Amino acid sequence: MQNDQSPSQLLKQGLWQENPVFRHTLGICSTLAVTNLVVNTLVMSAGIIFTLSMSCVTVSLLRHITPMRTRMMAQTLIISSYVIVFDILIQAYLPDISEALGPYVGLIITNCIIMGRCEAFARENPVFPSLLDGFAVGIGFSLVLLAIAVVRELLGFGTLLGFTVMPDGFTPWTIMVMAPGAFFTLGIYVWLVRSFSMQFDKK
Amino acid sequence: MENLNPGTLFFAAIFTNNILLTNFLGLCPYLNMSRNIRSAFGLGAAVVFVMTCTTVINHLVYYRVLVPLHLEHFQYIVFIIVIAAFVQLVEMVVERYFPALYFVLGIFLPLITVNCAILGASLFMIIREYTLTQSLAYGAGSGIGWLLAITLVGAMREKIQKSGMLPKGLEGPGITLIITGILSLAFIAFSGMIQIQ
Amino acid sequence: MEAVVIMKSRFYSVLYMFLLTFIFTAVVTVAKIANQDRILNNQHAKLQRVIFKVLHVPLRADMQADELQELFKERIRVSEVEGRTVYTAFAPIGETVIGHATSLNGPGFWGPIYAMVGVDAGGTRITGIEFYKQQETPGLGARISEQWFTDQFVGLSLDRAQEDKAFFSFTYPGRGKVSGELDAVTGATFTSKAVEKFLNRELVFLRKLADNNDGTMKNAE
Repeated sequence: MQNDQSPSQLLKQGLWQENPVFRHTLGICSTLAVTNLVVNTLVMSAGIIFTLSMSCVTVSLLRHITPMRTRMMAQTLIISSYVIVFDILIQAYLPDISEALGPYVGLIITNCIIMGRCEAFARENPVFPSLLDGFAVGIGFSLVLLAIAVVRELLGFGTLLGFTVMPDGFTPWTIMVMAPGAFFTLGIYVWLVRSFSMQFDKK
Repeated sequence: MENLNPGTLFFAAIFTNNILLTNFLGLCPYLNMSRNIRSAFGLGAAVVFVMTCTTVINHLVYYRVLVPLHLEHFQYIVFIIVIAAFVQLVEMVVERYFPALYFVLGIFLPLITVNCAILGASLFMIIREYTLTQSLAYGAGSGIGWLLAITLVGAMREKIQKSGMLPKGLEGPGITLIITGILSLAFIAFSGMIQIQ
Repeated sequence: MEAVVIMKSRFYSVLYMFLLTFIFTAVVTVAKIANQDRILNNQHAKLQRVIFKVLHVPLRADMQADELQELFKERIRVSEVEGRTVYTAFAPIGETVIGHATSLNGPGFWGPIYAMVGVDAGGTRITGIEFYKQQETPGLGARISEQWFTDQFVGLSLDRAQEDKAFFSFTYPGRGKVSGELDAVTGATFTSKAVEKFLNRELVFLRKLADNNDGTMKNAE
């Protein structure tokens, strides 16, 4: 099952056609919680992209020598190691954000997208396309997270990246910062994207 | 967290701090397996069992093995391996000795390793400095809370499916997310019920 | 013949996993060791900033971790009182004590809340408070870390007529205030109650610091 798509096709696929959140509603569990602030979301996205790309590359590099029966265990090991490395890096360079993200960095391990891409693509494809695939899916995923975070921070705190942007009389919608806000925002996004793409596909 | 009553923690984990409705953990299986009550309940029951046991095991592993050896930074890897091994073990035992139970729960067990709520419960227990009893209460409570949430939404989705009144784009995950938002809002109301100590 | 192949492959699988585990454990350990000092420095710097803030020791905005460390050594002496770590700040010149700080903690809504509390040299008034470690809900309970909330504690008297009376209590924001009544965080009743409970229990400790006020503390590192 070799894949012979061009790099641009791979990118487009990761960003839109195979977008993990809109198409399969996968991988949001561990990340939705940090979408109440744009800064946290950016760092979390960086973590996902890093782990996803590196894991895909590693799985692809080892694809000829990995025995079938232990491949899931091997993938878990690879993914967890990269997550720990990322965790150590942000503890060292971005201590405040590291504290704000708390256990959610560790939960990247159980993010279904990462193992999903390793299983579905990297396991059977050469290194470069695997890197590209992991990167594209990671970016597509991060854009959705950012879209949620912008709405939640803007309405919930009246700020963007910590700067006040709403006028003085604005009352923050605290509900947007809390859990229901995330569910509603994502629900409405999924609805919009699905309706839009259905019309798009008909034409 | 020396002075938090495990009983309070147990109920708080089910209602006010529901792991799915306030921490978003375990959302993937929740969205994809909640089409009807039967499978929702089956998966939920398996989660309760695994979560309770792995939280306790991970607590012991962390404080008895990792801390004395100063290997705390390996906690993610160790926890996920403990969970995977435990699920595998349970699957083998259930298949061998309780075939009837295996028939009901068996297909859900492999799904559990990648359920972030399980790993999440272990990580929260460490970061919130729970004692062993508190961890047991927290693990069991979080599992039951997850079961409650997925069963509720499974029931609602069944009804909605029958009514057939939804716009096309909202079907499936869209409406499930919005129902979950309302559920989560409803569960916030429980926070007045539970007092510290 | 087939059995040999299976044996071989099983052995190979084990060997493969063993090597992979070895390699990745090594990678993680190297990353940890390479960054350990930095992580520790970050943690120290954070705590030092908090201590300076509650004791009103002025800091430049662009201070690096090593400069903080230097200033900390110069101005703060660390001692143990009843098993707790107490940070005593001295005036820039001389042996005058300007205040003490210590870390207090109690259970919050999601996890433990840690507060660094500063008190004046006589142990009579709070000079500052910072909730430096907490996992409360963002936008609700987490607002206890905001300036308007912590500023309310500045100047709070630690004298009280009866032993069982609380040092302070929270009321709804905007109500008429008598002394010792502070604004709670709107919508975060639980967190506010938790803070009220543990601070009222623990603040007594700060009054004991007045007795440890002499210059001998300076050498009790």
